[in-house]
Amino acid sequence: MFQRSEKNLWRFLVPIGVLCSDSATRFATRLSLNSTQPSVKSHLLEPDFFFFLLTWRSAGSTHSEAGVSQQEALEALQAASSGHGVAAVTALELLQKEEEFRSIVTFCSQLDEALGGGVPVGKVTEICGAPGVGKTQLCLQLAVDVQVPAVFGGLGGQVLFVDTEGGFQVQRLVDLAGAAVRHCSLLAEDEEQRVAMTTFTVETILSNVFLVRCRDYVELLAELHLLPDFLPDRPRLRLLVIDSVAFPFLHLHDDLSQRTRLLQGLGLRLIAAATDHNIAVVTTNHMTTRLRGSQAQLVPALGDLWGHAPSIRLLLRWEESRRLASIVKSPGHMDATVQYQITCQGFRDADQSEQPQSKRPRTQTDQSASSRENTRT
Amino acid sequence: MNWDQLQLKPRIISAVQRAHLKSFREVLVSSEPDLQKMTGLSRPDVQELLHAAASACRTRQPITALQLQRGECRRLESGLRLGTGCPVLDQLLRGGLPAGGVTELAGASGAGKTQLGLQLCLSVQYPVEHGGLSAGALYICTEDPFPIRRLQQLISEQPSLRSDVPPSLIGRLRFSDNIYLEHAADLDSLQVCLSRRAALLLAQGRVRLVVVDSVAALFRSEFQPGDWLERNKQLLTVSSMVHHLSHEFTTPVLCINQVTDVFHQPESSSSSPSSSVSPALGLAWANQVTVRLMLRRLQATVSRGDQSSALRRLEVVFAPHLAQSSRDVAVWREGLRGVLDPVLDPVLAPFGPDVAQQKMVLPLRLGSV
Repeated sequence: MFQRSEKNLWRFLVPIGVLCSDSATRFATRLSLNSTQPSVKSHLLEPDFFFFLLTWRSAGSTHSEAGVSQQEALEALQAASSGHGVAAVTALELLQKEEEFRSIVTFCSQLDEALGGGVPVGKVTEICGAPGVGKTQLCLQLAVDVQVPAVFGGLGGQVLFVDTEGGFQVQRLVDLAGAAVRHCSLLAEDEEQRVAMTTFTVETILSNVFLVRCRDYVELLAELHLLPDFLPDRPRLRLLVIDSVAFPFLHLHDDLSQRTRLLQGLGLRLIAAATDHNIAVVTTNHMTTRLRGSQAQLVPALGDLWGHAPSIRLLLRWEESRRLASIVKSPGHMDATVQYQITCQGFRDADQSEQPQSKRPRTQTDQSASSRENTRT
Repeated sequence: MNWDQLQLKPRIISAVQRAHLKSFREVLVSSEPDLQKMTGLSRPDVQELLHAAASACRTRQPITALQLQRGECRRLESGLRLGTGCPVLDQLLRGGLPAGGVTELAGASGAGKTQLGLQLCLSVQYPVEHGGLSAGALYICTEDPFPIRRLQQLISEQPSLRSDVPPSLIGRLRFSDNIYLEHAADLDSLQVCLSRRAALLLAQGRVRLVVVDSVAALFRSEFQPGDWLERNKQLLTVSSMVHHLSHEFTTPVLCINQVTDVFHQPESSSSSPSSSVSPALGLAWANQVTVRLMLRRLQATVSRGDQSSALRRLEVVFAPHLAQSSRDVAVWREGLRGVLDPVLDPVLAPFGPDVAQQKMVLPLRLGSV
């Protein structure tokens, strides 16, 4: 049906429109069902034809190359532009849909406020930070918080935790789960909430966390290829955590162009999973040093191209002995910085009242500084 | 590569073989348009191929955390910990070193890192109920020769260190037979040692602990200051090897690291607040370790009977399952022991051990440890 030159054009179109292709095929199918001419129908079912039509629309020379008469081509174009069979979504509807999705609280109220409720569902959020600052802790906290029952303002959902670093420790998840259960049982006031508490126990929390451990980037890619099969079986799944994306990809340092390509594909797949299945995707990233002239800067790893994949980026860092979380990229929120702490119960607000005690008197023998309320008794 | 074992249509299999794709991994790392170009298959066929390759690559199904906690999947995370032999340190580490990750022990020279490494080589040989892993250890030296005399001393003093273990059991263990020593003078030999010798010993079940003493020595000596890109690549290679060993065989790996001085800047956002030394090898290495411990020498000394020892502090800098805390440690004839003052601790224990440490006076008299 096509000549050689058109095929090359189509090849050029595909990488750009890879996300559109599924919807385009659906669109083409729907379109063909509504069309009257049987020849137009069969032509439209070929996805190549649809793209080709779009590019050559203005040129007006579709019919001769595509093997279709001018009348048929015009009809197809008319059907496409009238949006026949395709529901156009207005911005108001989108807003209402977004407000229906709750966010996943982080139990640090200041951070939740800055994020407008918490980590949003339907988007990709990235957590960057130096080692030991609390990225895995926040991921574990979100894995517990997504399961908070709806009567308490949570989502009552399940979570798929993809661990690439070996940082997932069940012991710690048990600690966080126990603290969350205690917190909610203190809040339970009416009968409905008390009933919900019977299904919100440490055991049920553990049973709703699905763990996958990937040893290298190929296994990570394989897991994400299999995600569309995993998700429909679990309609309650609301959170996907990948801790971390950087670790396996940093080991692929031989072929940087391949790494960039793979990361791009990965990013698109994550965005598709977030929007199509209504889940919050949270990824973790490392920090790396970038030299700008003579200045060394700490920037998130994996490059600028990966930076386009997440819609929200949280940066966790140390400042003296305080832990700070900053929103550095977000389409809907202002850049803000809040203080948090990691206690034995998990990710929490920094306790303002305890601050004076945080600076321990420095004696000659005592040189280490930070174990205040972080100490286990 | 036997493509027939995948449930694929014959035309897909023949297209794959025509394109000389040799493994599932090769299929997975190529993007969809590349695969289409290479094989000449249509999009649905390529997706089917990717799906089949992904299912073949996935080693195990997702399991729930509950199953993990109940120990229903031994391979993934056994929850095993390698005890250090001292109950105070085991309490600090919530059981000991995690069996599935890389633990880093950093400290200045003379702090006692090698001592702790030797102690772990002995404690790994005890059965699981006594905090060990019932197997030997592989000790890879990169700089100093192995302290064989100190090891013999530790072995002979085991009964006094491990008072919780029946002496008959200690007598039955042939400690020095189960410690394998390797010397790696440069990076290439370290990589060979890890990829061949260590893998073989772990696969045979003869060792369940790998100690690399020290990681920093090789990197600091072999690279010029301008070669940091190459150095980082080598770091990542070594790190991926030790991680692979650790996860493949559920083995704790202890990497001993040196320290470097840091000049405090007004805002040091990259490292946790601590004193003027920090572990060597920088951020690239720090991103690779699971648990980071620091061993510092303090000014105080402790004495016990006829022995006296400089006091050290073992600090948890970061770990996914541990709070940031520290314990004081002394090095005796029988090994490292955590130090708790029995006079102060019963009173101050509810407030946390760091309050007890604030009140440390010198010299400290130990009661029963």
